[in-house]
Amino acid sequence: MSTSGSIDPGAPEVAELATEVEGALLSAENVSKIFGGLVAVNDVTVAIPRKKIVSIIGPNGAGKTTFFNMLTGLYKPSRGKIVLDGADITGHRPDKIMAGGVARTFQNIRLFSTMTAVENVMVGQHARMRAGLIGSILRPPRVGREERGTREKARDMLGFVGLETKTFDELAINLSYGDQRRVEIARALASEPRLLLLDEPTAGMNPQESEVLTTFMKRLRDELDLSILLIEHDMKVVMGVSEHITVLDHGEKIAEGDPATVRANPRVIEAYLGKQG
Amino acid sequence: MNVATLPPQEEIRTTPVSERLRKFFSAYGLWIVLLGLPVFYGIKDLQDEGDLSRLGNNLFAGLSNGAIWALIALGYTLVYGIIELINFAHGDVFMIGSFVAVGMWGTVGLALTTGTLGLIAGLLVTLIVAMVVCGTMNVMIERVAYRPLRSAPKLAPLITAVGFSFILQNVGIVWLGSSQKGVPDLIKAQHVLVSVAGIDIHNSDVLALAVTAPLVFLLTTFVNHSRSGKAMRATAQDPEAARLMGINVDTTISLTFLLGGLLAGAAGLVYALYQTNVWYFQGFTAGLIAFTAAVMGGIGNLKGAVIGGLIIGCIQQISDNRIGAQWTPAVVFAYLVLIMVFRPQGLVGEETREAG
Amino acid sequence: MSAINSNLESFRNWKHANLAIAVVLIGALAIFPLFKPPLDGFIDDCVLALAYVVMALGLNIVVGFAGLLDLGFVAFYAFGSYAAGWFASDFFSSINGEKGIHIGAGTFASTLPGIHLNFLLVLVAAVIITSIAGMIIGLPTLRLRGDYIAIVTLAFGEIIGRFAVNGQIGGFKYTNGRQAISPVDALDLPLLKEFDSAFSIRGYYWVALTMVAFSLFVNFRLRDSRLGRAWIAIREDEVAAVSMGIPLVKTKLMAYAAGAAFGGLSGAFLGTYFNSVNANQFQFAFSIFILSMVILGGLGSIWGTVLGAITLSFINSYFIPDVFNGIPGSLGLDFDLTQLSFGIFGFLLVMVMILRPEGLLPEKRRRLELKEGIGADEAIVEVRA
Ligand SMILES: Nc1ncnc2c1ncn2[C@@H]1O[C@H](COP(=O)(O)OP(=O)(O)O)[C@@H](O)[C@H]1O
Ligand SMILES: [Mg+2]
Repeated sequence: MSTSGSIDPGAPEVAELATEVEGALLSAENVSKIFGGLVAVNDVTVAIPRKKIVSIIGPNGAGKTTFFNMLTGLYKPSRGKIVLDGADITGHRPDKIMAGGVARTFQNIRLFSTMTAVENVMVGQHARMRAGLIGSILRPPRVGREERGTREKARDMLGFVGLETKTFDELAINLSYGDQRRVEIARALASEPRLLLLDEPTAGMNPQESEVLTTFMKRLRDELDLSILLIEHDMKVVMGVSEHITVLDHGEKIAEGDPATVRANPRVIEAYLGKQG
Repeated sequence: MNVATLPPQEEIRTTPVSERLRKFFSAYGLWIVLLGLPVFYGIKDLQDEGDLSRLGNNLFAGLSNGAIWALIALGYTLVYGIIELINFAHGDVFMIGSFVAVGMWGTVGLALTTGTLGLIAGLLVTLIVAMVVCGTMNVMIERVAYRPLRSAPKLAPLITAVGFSFILQNVGIVWLGSSQKGVPDLIKAQHVLVSVAGIDIHNSDVLALAVTAPLVFLLTTFVNHSRSGKAMRATAQDPEAARLMGINVDTTISLTFLLGGLLAGAAGLVYALYQTNVWYFQGFTAGLIAFTAAVMGGIGNLKGAVIGGLIIGCIQQISDNRIGAQWTPAVVFAYLVLIMVFRPQGLVGEETREAG
Repeated sequence: MSAINSNLESFRNWKHANLAIAVVLIGALAIFPLFKPPLDGFIDDCVLALAYVVMALGLNIVVGFAGLLDLGFVAFYAFGSYAAGWFASDFFSSINGEKGIHIGAGTFASTLPGIHLNFLLVLVAAVIITSIAGMIIGLPTLRLRGDYIAIVTLAFGEIIGRFAVNGQIGGFKYTNGRQAISPVDALDLPLLKEFDSAFSIRGYYWVALTMVAFSLFVNFRLRDSRLGRAWIAIREDEVAAVSMGIPLVKTKLMAYAAGAAFGGLSGAFLGTYFNSVNANQFQFAFSIFILSMVILGGLGSIWGTVLGAITLSFINSYFIPDVFNGIPGSLGLDFDLTQLSFGIFGFLLVMVMILRPEGLLPEKRRRLELKEGIGADEAIVEVRA
């Protein structure tokens, strides 16, 4: 299907967006990513308001993960601008962006598999710690306190995401799939983010687990005041938690709006039907 | 262990400034650096002596010397292209090739007094034996030291390759001792055959080019047009897909090592005739030089390896002749570092997957 | 039986197990030279072994912890040794109007021309020089993949070796090349006064032992720190690591600097111990010698590295020349086994990598990585997915 040009310029969503960008926590403005000849993301604008859950959906290969990778600094946008809380972070290093309060999980879990669950979450706090080379060697009381604090917080986080205490010191590779997903979320949360990016977090989960995760995301928003940007295939989850949905197909934004609007959009239906055949 | 795992090279950035600098160098830097030496000395010669014959001699000697590096570099590039391994022992296989060749001269009775026809026949026999021995040895090294580690982290076979390099060097020591050993100057290497426009063409130059050119031609034809060559290229692209398409990946890899070894053997013979001395350590240096050539040309790229070999040969000659032979290794390695850092895809390397 | 097992188990889990092992071991090692003649050949072998332990512990930080395969470690040996050669000999004899510069130097050294710093200051200088060199050499490798890192570091090692051999650029002479800078000032430390003479090497032994203790301390501290976790994270998955806020450049450079510093420390000590600094020492084979120690012992494993270093050092300085050297002759072969030591190490590398890649005393994480190929080579695929 051809999807050149975005949705009608006069559509109400665009006007709505313009007002949202103002106070947005993070906004991506007209970003594109081109790999060689392939346009993986084409001129996409998305704004993530504070303390809201926003989703990106779209068929496989639509460019969702690539978009994430640009937000987190792994990829540099070929065009466009990314603004975090008023500051332009386009092209900044991933670790800087993470330190600025954007944490993520990966579509294919990327835990440090030879570290324990606790150690993984401790790594997540790297940017919030201060010990340097000399400090690590001499370990003055300040560093000792920091180390203990980090460990305690890691355990708290793991408890918070629902991991059983007895698995805290298991190597990540030996954890069940669901637990690995949990640890990844804990690792991201441990960095005290303002914005959490979740790339298909329910992939491989059964309906009950997805249900639990849905509630959990709402808790994160309400209790920790987090914004969440979610990539998700499970429509039940998406429709259940999202306040705003952006639909990508072939790298382009083909629709956006609240769940009801998006669900009713003929282009969205076409994109999904087209994909599933 | 995390190797080769960065997302596209272009993607993870250090700092914007170094990035821009890098881009500039990656686009033009290598050419500037490569042309720097000859242009500088060309201008100097013109000023001092009024003509370019000294530079011409440097470059020509560089080409013939580089032909040997090209033969070795092809072995690196073939292997790297197919299993992404720096076959560190390759240079030492080449050294063994020299030793075998020198040994064979004695066996077939070649001496300074042998007539031209006898010499050619004898050298052909020697060439074939050296090639076969090195080819076989390379295949065996792959079987023993690399194949068991194919699913291990990449650094594991690199380490065994280094290990094998040392083993072969010691074979060399046991064989011919640990000092350089002069060998009969069968072809009167330094004899000037003709002199064209002030450039002396020696017997050794003719030999190097006469052996290299047909071998490179045969190799490229084989890789590009034969069935097995196609299998090699398919495996290089995507071993898993090749396997699914019914290509025997193990055999293909063995074949690659065989080809690399054959060329190394040929290089070994040429080197012995050309330099008129051999020693156990020649493989280490030659290996690094040839590897530099392979990277310079774009590793995995046959044409690139040849061009890289010739260029490195020229750089070496210029450095030997102008800067001082004692600095030449440092000069070559400096080039190696510069290329690796600023243009890891090489001169003629296409934008690879990772550079995408 | 099970009681013993569970005792062992609880000992392993005991927080201070490493400390206990270290204290007992080092204590026992400290007193043993008193039972040997002061110039005993065995103490000599031990001094070398200890110095190599320090080197190997340094390389283990780079290769074992951070996963950066450094094949040019000899560069730091060279810089460290030259720190001793430059700052504790009459090499710069014309300096200060041929009167020399002396800071805390021994009584005899204080009378000589050239720069003569106290041994401890030489160590400090060596650490500073090598950690800076480590970062400079590390810089160009930062964006490279593993095998390219190996080659670039190797090339640097060769370049530096070449500079050492050549010794001068234009009129400026910075080494004596194959002539060696000699004599380097002997050890002259306040508490070791009675041992600093030519009649005893016990002083060197104790200094080396102290350096080992220090290196162990630093290694353990680093391993169990914010930085140590960051190194492991980078080794396993750079993309995940950087996404978790770990700055790749800085973290890798710290590994290079820390590792190089130990190479320099040990190099300066060896320069002093050998009493001379010869460019012939700084060859690629040395890098592989040290790397073999780390690999034999177990990449990333601190006690493994110690074991590997001691084993190979003794094979090199005792078993090959003294014990097995008669074998070729008795087989009717005519060669010197010492020439083959590196073939033997090469063979060892191949064997270890194939039969027991995790080494003699493996580290638990590395065993998983090396045995089961975890964490290797998948990142590109994943970022794209
Ligand atoms: N590093 C890369 N190099 C080249 N192409 C890529 C890269 N990453 C992603 N792509 C391509 O970009 C497109 C979008 O991929 P992706 O963002 O992973 O989609 P999604 O997450 O929506 O399934 C795909 O066609 C994919 O092959
Ligand atoms: Mg995706």
